[in-house]
Amino acid sequence: MKRLMLALAPLLFALAALDVHAQLTIEITQGRDNPTAIAVVPFAWQGQGTAPEDVAQVVDADLARSGQFAPVDRADMLGRPSTQKDIFYRDWRAIQSEYLLIGRVLPQGEQMRVEYELYDVTRQQQVHSGAESGPANEARMLGHRVADAVYEKLTGIPGAFATRLLYVSATRVPGGKDYFRLTLADSDGARPIVLLESREPVLAPGWSPDGKQVSYVSFETGRPAIYIQNLATGAREQITNFKGLNGAPAWSPDGNTMAMVLSKDGSPDIYLMNMTTRKLTRVTRHYAIDTEPTWMPDGRSLLFTSDRGGRPQIYRYDLRTGTTERVTFEGGYNARARVAQDGRNVVMVHQKDGRFHIAILDLVTSRLQVLTSTELDESPSIAPNGSMVLYATKHADRGILAAVSVDGGVKFRLPSREGDVREPAWSPYMGR
Amino acid sequence: MASGLVFMTGPLCFMAQAQDYVDVEAERAGRTSSSAPATATPGAVADPYGVRPAQSYPATSYGVNSAPAAPATTTRPAASPSGNQSMGTLYIQLQQLQQEVMRLNGMVEEQANELRKLKAQSLERYVDLDKRLSAVGTSAAAPAVSAGGNNRPSAAVATPALPLTTGQGAALPGESEAYRSAYSLVRGQQFDEAVAAFREFLDSYPDGKFAPNAHYWLGELYLVVDPQDLESSRQSFSLLLSQYPDNAKAPDAMYKLGKVQYLKGNREKSRQYLERVVREYGDTNSAAVKLSRDFLAENF
Repeated sequence: MKRLMLALAPLLFALAALDVHAQLTIEITQGRDNPTAIAVVPFAWQGQGTAPEDVAQVVDADLARSGQFAPVDRADMLGRPSTQKDIFYRDWRAIQSEYLLIGRVLPQGEQMRVEYELYDVTRQQQVHSGAESGPANEARMLGHRVADAVYEKLTGIPGAFATRLLYVSATRVPGGKDYFRLTLADSDGARPIVLLESREPVLAPGWSPDGKQVSYVSFETGRPAIYIQNLATGAREQITNFKGLNGAPAWSPDGNTMAMVLSKDGSPDIYLMNMTTRKLTRVTRHYAIDTEPTWMPDGRSLLFTSDRGGRPQIYRYDLRTGTTERVTFEGGYNARARVAQDGRNVVMVHQKDGRFHIAILDLVTSRLQVLTSTELDESPSIAPNGSMVLYATKHADRGILAAVSVDGGVKFRLPSREGDVREPAWSPYMGR
Repeated sequence: MASGLVFMTGPLCFMAQAQDYVDVEAERAGRTSSSAPATATPGAVADPYGVRPAQSYPATSYGVNSAPAAPATTTRPAASPSGNQSMGTLYIQLQQLQQEVMRLNGMVEEQANELRKLKAQSLERYVDLDKRLSAVGTSAAAPAVSAGGNNRPSAAVATPALPLTTGQGAALPGESEAYRSAYSLVRGQQFDEAVAAFREFLDSYPDGKFAPNAHYWLGELYLVVDPQDLESSRQSFSLLLSQYPDNAKAPDAMYKLGKVQYLKGNREKSRQYLERVVREYGDTNSAAVKLSRDFLAENF
């Protein structure tokens, strides 16, 4: 037996940050020309000793990463107000901050409460106030939720900071066998938790629509099989064991069905599995390769990649009429589509001048825009608010994750200090 | 390629079940030999475990060769046992037919799409012509129409570009030719070259008859070049608007400014421009008014 399973991870909830070296860090490579200046004052800690987590720093970093905000350097702040009466607007006008965010962190036993207020410095008035509570050991998540609220208030688009990422990393062992990790992390790469570690490849991670379960393909038995895993309990189940390919699982928007690729009846085709009865329905029937299914948000049609036209292109299958139509026409290679929640923007891998980029296609205008300037880009995954696209690429000969805004204006990288990182999957909104 | 061939030498290689694996491995081999996105660092081939993680699985990512069965087809005859010669020949012919049908299928899809686009364009052109003809009766200058929601300068937009005048009289010597050649680059979709040509044009004929058009096209082009240059686009449209407020392209430029500001993330400025288009040109038959209304309704 050449294969060796190292660990299952049923103890999720008990695990904190496992491995500092595996954590993704963030380098902003391109921002907007005129980001909004906002001062995120360190939140006042109202418990004993020092605060366990700098929540304001989390908010600050989230807003900066969006590219739409330029948080003021703490060293430039002329005061550190935490309540309205301590605010001197001239201090903030002096450093040309357009908005001001202040807050307080209150410990409540195992829980923690963050209260915050957002002020418009020019108009000298409060524009938003709110509070977030949650487990004290998830203080960073509270920060992300505050950032979501501030982002939505100022841009009109819901934030997607309080979300999570799945990704696969491969670590080479010189002279030995590589190992693969399926990792769950916050949207900023912090708090990585290893869900699965295996000496055999792990592929195609994806989310259930409620964000409570994940699906993936693992070769741990020596052959590909689809697994689902509950994040809260760690319970894990192998749902396919067919001859040939078992791949590319994709949960339907209502969570009742899973689209997948099987080659048990010949060439790879798309199938649907009823998640209750586990009954299979065949969707495509073609001697070409049909693969990488993904659902339109209304659940009425699927996009998939097929080379039935000689070259890989994106097609749409309508589940009600049973008709298939081609979606992409620009370029000789378009694959691995993912659809934004608006059902209008589709991101995909697009080949241009021999290089693989991430492109976005507007289904209404049929306009295709190449978003990335890196090459060898793959596996795009779109944020639940449709603002950013996360993808895998190569940088300095390493597989890393990178992100780009859907207008191409903001770019950042999330390099890992160890191993090659691939196949990111951005979670849906969690617990909303 | 070698790893893919190993699987093809079995006696049952022509049977359907084996075919799955053959295709898969051929696909993988194709990926390894060309630089598909998922391919590992070169040199890892010697280590069987080094190759595996880097190879992408066809179910999640496509091979770059995009004709996965092709290598299998060409290598199969050698592997076929002689007793099954005729079966093998049949199988190869079937494979070739499948490849051929796929290629033809792709052509049909693409031509159907071209037809659809041409139909839409000719309708657009007709509507535009009709609009300009009716405008001749009411006002001197007809509004230039930009294709609905489509930033890419297309042939449909092109028609009104040349005859537009600014009321500054005749073109300078050589100006028409210079403008025409810059404009042909737009038509040829050579956007980077077109940017350079229009800039050169403006250097030579800063006050020329076609200068406002050149500013307009530069604004459009900065949006479609890679990387997109929103700030330059904004400057071009702003310049057109401030220097030639009465130009027929003024409402279009204003609408475009609204879009550019939107792309830059300035929702408020964007809305101001779009509302200004509706307010100032609402009673003209400029297409920019409708586009602005649509954009406002859709995004605000």
